[in-house]
Amino acid sequence: MLRSALNLSACGLIWFFLLGFSRASLAEESPTNNTANWMLEATNHMGQWIWETNTLDKQTVRFWKSFVVPPGGKVAAALLRITVDNGYTLFFDGQEIGRGSDWRTVTEYDVTQLLSPGRHVLGVEAFNDRLEAGFIFGLRLELADGQAMEITSDDSWLIAPGEAKNWVAKKTAPPDWHPAIIIGSMHHHPWENWPYGLATVPPVRPVAVHFWQRGWFQLLLFTTSALAVFYCIALTTRLVAQAKAQQFLNLERARIARDIHDDVGAQLTQLVLLGEVAQREQPEGSAARRQFQQFCAHARELSQAMDEVVWAVNSRRDTVRDFASYVCKYAQHFLSATPTRCRLDVEAEIPAMEFELPVRRNLFLAVKEALNNAAKHAQADELFVRIYRQEQKLIVTIEDNGIGFDPDTLKLERNGLTNLHQRMNEIGGTCEIITQPGLGCRVTFSVPLKPAKSRLGFGWFRPDAATNRQQIEQLNLPPDLADIENQKSL
Amino acid sequence: MKPNLSSSPPPKPDIRVALVEDKPGVRDSWTRLINSLAGFACACACTSGEEALRVIPTVKPDVVLMDIFLPRMSGIECTTQLKLILPKTQVLMLTAVEDDELVFMALVAGADGYLLKRTTPENLRAAMLDVLGGGAPMTSEIARRVVESFRKAKAKSKPEVHLSAREEEVLILLSKGYSNKEIASQLSIGAETVGSHLKHIYEKMHVRSRAEAVARYMTSKA
Repeated sequence: MLRSALNLSACGLIWFFLLGFSRASLAEESPTNNTANWMLEATNHMGQWIWETNTLDKQTVRFWKSFVVPPGGKVAAALLRITVDNGYTLFFDGQEIGRGSDWRTVTEYDVTQLLSPGRHVLGVEAFNDRLEAGFIFGLRLELADGQAMEITSDDSWLIAPGEAKNWVAKKTAPPDWHPAIIIGSMHHHPWENWPYGLATVPPVRPVAVHFWQRGWFQLLLFTTSALAVFYCIALTTRLVAQAKAQQFLNLERARIARDIHDDVGAQLTQLVLLGEVAQREQPEGSAARRQFQQFCAHARELSQAMDEVVWAVNSRRDTVRDFASYVCKYAQHFLSATPTRCRLDVEAEIPAMEFELPVRRNLFLAVKEALNNAAKHAQADELFVRIYRQEQKLIVTIEDNGIGFDPDTLKLERNGLTNLHQRMNEIGGTCEIITQPGLGCRVTFSVPLKPAKSRLGFGWFRPDAATNRQQIEQLNLPPDLADIENQKSL
Repeated sequence: MKPNLSSSPPPKPDIRVALVEDKPGVRDSWTRLINSLAGFACACACTSGEEALRVIPTVKPDVVLMDIFLPRMSGIECTTQLKLILPKTQVLMLTAVEDDELVFMALVAGADGYLLKRTTPENLRAAMLDVLGGGAPMTSEIARRVVESFRKAKAKSKPEVHLSAREEEVLILLSKGYSNKEIASQLSIGAETVGSHLKHIYEKMHVRSRAEAVARYMTSKA
């Protein structure tokens, strides 16, 4: 090892002479001498060269030493000096605090901040490249009360065998660890003129372990994240299931509506036709003809009633637009048998936005009741049905120019009116009746509308388009008409 | 040459009605019902749209009663094609339920009116006489849709298929529930003029659908 160092460049040789000279003339006051003084002071507090019993090439030796800072002894200063021929890794209480590979320089560590009263462990993993090997060490502690403590390299250091695991963190040494042997004093051959340099590293600070670096926190974080992920998955699954259930329900409703329409409706229509034909084949004025007439009238009423059921059930009719159209048709049909003329005032181009079954059904029944009241009591010659949107609400007004009534004197007959209020309450809407004797009557229904659905993502949450496509296919329409239907639904 | 006025005028020939309906029982009832109406005769009863396109041009009836729901070719598509061959023949759609969407599509496709299947024989008779006399029945719901569709189509279609201001006025009054008579008095015009306005509106709707039908026919040939 030393021989390889001797084969150094000229530069190294010059340094060798310079240092050798300066060591010989310690008393002189010069910058170089200052360095040398400091060097000497430092080396004075170091122990002896120690090593494993056998010295081998490419050898790693693990030195271990524990010491105790007396309880209550506050450490004012602690300097640690070390070098190993050829290199080392230094551990303090299991934590690596430094490395060195230039054995000709002593490194000085300020470990004041690491030292507290109690037991501490030093560990040095030393490495020899070839030939002579040695480890030299000194730690000087100055306590607050003026006392000093020194730990140096000597044969009290133990050697941890190569297979020992976690040896740097061990507080006590196992009995099979054997002590190191002393090779010689500081300037023992072949280190007469070494080390000649001193490197000082900044004070070593205790490693601050933040709470997020601690195991318990990381475990907690992981658990929380995992729980959150599971919750999200569960929620998504439920939403998908709900969307599917809704889609299934809509499909089922459409199917039921279609079945009623196709089976019951078609049969009813045929019944009406058969009745008409049979009636016409009876002699005029006969009892049989009159009975067939009644039969046809009942069958027509039944067919009309069935249309209402089909309308209510069919999920394809769950739109505001369809509702408006249905109410207008109903009002016109209903009032055509009375002296009251029906006037319509519907907002132009009402969109096909969603209008749920319970809402549209209750609102329709309420409107029906209001129309019924008007036809029965109002004696009006004109009645207005107004349908329009206002601030996310659908407003339906039934307004007649009839005889009106005094709202306070109508206590006994108010069953129908409380019914209206109750219906509207059920669907989160309101009902307002404004009337005076001789001034007609105006009933205003107002129900909240759902805000328009967001168009962002979640395509699989919106089964409407697919539902419609399927229904249209079953309608047997030509493809271009099916497209018109589909565009309307979008 | 002087016309011979001495002899009594020949009895007016029956109005010839063609029927397109796929269900045999219903078809039979309709045929008997039409034949029982004085002055009407069922000229032919077809079971499908395809058969109707084959048979009706040779029969050349005055009125066609067309079911909307037919297997394969729908009544709506059949109407479009039939109107290309026989533009003067009046087509009335028959529907089981009042579905505005379907009725409107049928009217756009070329139908001249529609009837509920459960209608009374008197209404059926009146409706057929009405369309033959140049009338154009329209409900307020359909009127509203017609206004909307013309407004939407305004941007792209040619000016000759736009509604005139008067036609739009008539439609809007109709959509508010006014009867033809009331509209006539409101606009200070004759009731027949209201009828002819409506007829024009129907024709304008048909022009658009006919152009589309021809385009479809051409592309299917190519």
